[in-house]
Amino acid sequence: MTSASKDRKDQVRLGFMTAIEIVDRTFVGGLLVTDRFGRPLEFQCTTPVKPNRTQELLYGPTLVPFILGELLGKTLLDRISVKPTLVLTSRVEMLQLRPTASLPVLFDEASSPSDSSDTATRTEVQKDQQVRFGRQTFRMHKDFLSDRAIVERIALELSDDANMHEPLQRVGEALRETMSTVAVRPRVA
Amino acid sequence: MLSAQNHRNLPERDASFDVPCPRAFDFPFETSTVELLPTVDIFSSGSNVALNRWLGIECQKIEAGLVVGTVPSWKPGWPKVHTVGLAFPEAIEFQPAPTERDGEQLKTLRARKKKPDGESDDSQVATKSTRLRPPSDALSLEDRLFYILQPPLETMLAGQDLIMPFEPFPHQYEGIGWLFSQKSALLADEMGLGKTMQMITAVRLLLRGGQIRRILLVCPKPLIPNWQREFRAWAEELPVVTVEGDTARRNLIWKMPGVPILITNYEVMVRDMEAMPEDERPKFDLVVLDEAQRIKNRDSKTAVVTRDLNRKRSWCLTGTPIENRPEELVSLFEFLEVVPPRATPDLRQLSRLADVYILRRTKDVAMKDMPPRLDRDAYLELSPAQQYAYTVAEKEGVVQLNEMGDQVSVQHVFELVLRLKQITNFDPLTNESSKLDRLVADMEEIAQSGGKAILFSQWTKVLDWLGARLQQFNPLIYHGGVPTKKREPILAEFKADPTRHILLMSYGTGAVGLNLQFAGYVFLFDRWWNPAVEDQAINRAHRIGQTSTVIVTRFICKDTIEERIDAILTQKRAIFESILGAGDESNVTLSLNASEIFGLFDLKARHGKGTKKIAPAKAEDAKQDAA
Repeated sequence: MTSASKDRKDQVRLGFMTAIEIVDRTFVGGLLVTDRFGRPLEFQCTTPVKPNRTQELLYGPTLVPFILGELLGKTLLDRISVKPTLVLTSRVEMLQLRPTASLPVLFDEASSPSDSSDTATRTEVQKDQQVRFGRQTFRMHKDFLSDRAIVERIALELSDDANMHEPLQRVGEALRETMSTVAVRPRVA
Repeated sequence: MLSAQNHRNLPERDASFDVPCPRAFDFPFETSTVELLPTVDIFSSGSNVALNRWLGIECQKIEAGLVVGTVPSWKPGWPKVHTVGLAFPEAIEFQPAPTERDGEQLKTLRARKKKPDGESDDSQVATKSTRLRPPSDALSLEDRLFYILQPPLETMLAGQDLIMPFEPFPHQYEGIGWLFSQKSALLADEMGLGKTMQMITAVRLLLRGGQIRRILLVCPKPLIPNWQREFRAWAEELPVVTVEGDTARRNLIWKMPGVPILITNYEVMVRDMEAMPEDERPKFDLVVLDEAQRIKNRDSKTAVVTRDLNRKRSWCLTGTPIENRPEELVSLFEFLEVVPPRATPDLRQLSRLADVYILRRTKDVAMKDMPPRLDRDAYLELSPAQQYAYTVAEKEGVVQLNEMGDQVSVQHVFELVLRLKQITNFDPLTNESSKLDRLVADMEEIAQSGGKAILFSQWTKVLDWLGARLQQFNPLIYHGGVPTKKREPILAEFKADPTRHILLMSYGTGAVGLNLQFAGYVFLFDRWWNPAVEDQAINRAHRIGQTSTVIVTRFICKDTIEERIDAILTQKRAIFESILGAGDESNVTLSLNASEIFGLFDLKARHGKGTKKIAPAKAEDAKQDAA
């Protein structure tokens, strides 16, 4: 292996982002950045966020995508020191992060939680939105199909059978552990 | 239009009327007609006169503002979201393993795992996942998250940046994960389940994860080559340095920076640490004691010096955490720093500590598909010459002991036992030996089938004696008298040379740490005092990697001291479970205690063989009986 090739491999940083709903419409988000082998480099999780009644009424169906994508997702991405090369998420709502971020955001449909608010999660996705990454197939943001080239380039640095689904489970477990350990009062807007 | 058609009291005139446009309004205002059809019942109340009056309309000017506003106003503001972060230590970079250096494709564990028909067993790999669990003493959230966020062991190891020569077994994955997360750990797997590999892999992961940077492994001297070999096999990229040579060289090695793993033996470690000023002693992130029963006596110099080692983590490896008394565990726990110095926990407390800090699996549970071990006790008659020598020695010995009266001690009895045991091996005058005859018979069969056997004896002299008489099987001898440097080649030759059918070993040197799973037969030529040591010896062959049934033959001469020792040892074989489990047998020991050694002859007396009691308390009775 040449040193340039090794450097390129070492520069791959994978971001695994998810959010869980701890009580009614109260969300907490987490982002784990790993190297290409899934070894953790940094983890950030947010304090819980709960929308107030006015926000619920006025945001309507865009509320959860806004909280998960723009509020939690963007905050996590801003705060993390080890910047990921791309972000994988198990929440379809977090695809909304893509327009505000300058890196590919991929949604792992297979690991989407059953309580996901977006019922369109299971709907058929256009073929051109799908991209293979490791062992799984992910969905890209429909307005950023040009991400495919970046994603495929990063995928070359990974093992073909790398399980990209598993780290998302780790993040979910870490969020649940955090919530069970720390009694945090949700930040009501 | 106002209408009063239905109003009975209004004058009969057109009740509608025009409402003039008030002049105050500046904008065009059309005249509108308003219907007034009040339905009012008139009662004779005397006040109805008001109804006869015309309605008065008063117009007022109202300012209608020209700017439209929304009240209240709302801006979509959200509170600042806070985050909690956890950074992981950077991994240490080691030289790449050879396959990577050579530019070859990294081997993966998945590729190695084949179904019988040659296809990869993907489904099994996909479903198997050993997650690290936070240790019970990890209280802070950061500590717990550290473990939760680690990838499964299979992911860490499977053909990524850590090459493994073999796919670990499930119990080994579990052991690696457990060690990884424990600061204090006693891995007490039964011999042959791969403690060495589990320890090396856990160390490798901790080093890779930046959790530890400097490790000291202390083991018995004969096992150093074994550890060096195992490190080469399981973690070739890790630089390992053995602390050896003269004092100056050893001092240099102790203080050498950048060496992640140091290996030394107990004697060197004790000597060097004692000679070193306290503030100059090296510091370690992890100290591992192999065959940790070496520190079972908490007051021994080895135990004291070992406890003083500067370290952050402490691990012990042993297949026999309790050789004699449950209290031996306390010394190990003291090293692990899970009990205070000089603590005396009772059995219940020991049992609770064992649940947390000891991981012990037995082959029955962990390796269900491992070839079985068949134990067969060969009860042999002494040859005539042996029988004569034995009878004479026993009679003379017992008489001698009885004559000593109250002066008799365990040591005296012990000497007699040893003498008798030696005669059961062979008669020193005639060299007759029923054990040898049986051994030769068995070995002929084994050699014919191309098999290999290991033989254990307590005495090196017996091994040399056997070596001279087993030449047809091309024997090799391995005991404490063989120089250390020559030991490894002996083992290698035994493995590689198909004409070498038997390896003669002493319990003391050959019973621990060696991997001889290519041998399918084990002979215990004479019995050791402790069944745990015998098990260790047997497990040199009956261990992971063994492909065939291991046949263990114990030679026991009938109506001799061996039979009586065997009876006691058999009763004690279940001791590990009782101590590591409920633990209510505080006085039980694995080795023979003083009263049991005295009782060896008492047993024979009860069988009517004429030997009398020799215990000090009843010495007078014994004298009378002997007379």
